[in-house]
Amino acid sequence: MVDLLALILVFSGIAFFFFGAIGLLRLPDLHSRLHALTKADNLGLGLLIVGVALFHGSLLVALKLLLIWLLALLGSAASAHLISQYALRRKHQ
Amino acid sequence: MTTIDKDSSVPLRSAWSAHIARRMSAGNPFYALSALGLFALIWFLLTGDDWKSWLVGLPAVIVAAWCAVRLQGLDRERISLSGLMRFLPFFIWESVLGGIDVASRVMRPKMHIAPGFLDYRMRLTQLSARRLFVNCLSLLPGTLAADLDGEYLRIHTLDRGIDLNDELLRLERMVSAVYGESL
Repeated sequence: MVDLLALILVFSGIAFFFFGAIGLLRLPDLHSRLHALTKADNLGLGLLIVGVALFHGSLLVALKLLLIWLLALLGSAASAHLISQYALRRKHQ
Repeated sequence: MTTIDKDSSVPLRSAWSAHIARRMSAGNPFYALSALGLFALIWFLLTGDDWKSWLVGLPAVIVAAWCAVRLQGLDRERISLSGLMRFLPFFIWESVLGGIDVASRVMRPKMHIAPGFLDYRMRLTQLSARRLFVNCLSLLPGTLAADLDGEYLRIHTLDRGIDLNDELLRLERMVSAVYGESL
């Protein structure tokens, strides 16, 4: 039962990564593309991590995965901000 | 070019020395201890029960905590635990909504978007609270922090048709509660 739930979570995580990639390809401009990358991948990684933690069933691994998720969140928010700021300021020069 | 550098470095250097002086005068042992504890916890999470790894880990933890104390912000922020506990479920729920929102927009045959910018003036005053606000904003539905200048924030939105003011104010309130500041 737990394994089934974990499997569903992992696959929905993968689905959100896929939606993020589709968004990256379909959206018209740089800033809109960043939306797809930050939000869809954030949720995708979160679901994946909860799924893998359930599979593993160990608290230490779960906390380690949580740490990875937090670092990835920080990285994606900071890099999205830097890219969009650079793009805006270069346009106005 | 050199004159510009010289001019801009003067206020910078004096701000820096004022910063150092202020921190020297009010050292906070609690801050250093919690930094030590946090980094030790992270090392433990990374290495598990491999105790020999602490040969490398202990010096690394001490150096990291020293850096954290040196880089501590000017505003002596205090994190409110109850504010944080209310913030986390809110943040997780909003991230789920954000992911679903952007996925459903891009998966339609004809994409449902009207991208544009809007300017927002933050009410938060503490630097670290602003930092948390800006970072969370990019992960929440429909908004992306595009540029930041002091308290003015330029936000990119996927749908200009939606009025974001209430959402932004709500996020700001949640963030301010984390830092025990009331808006």
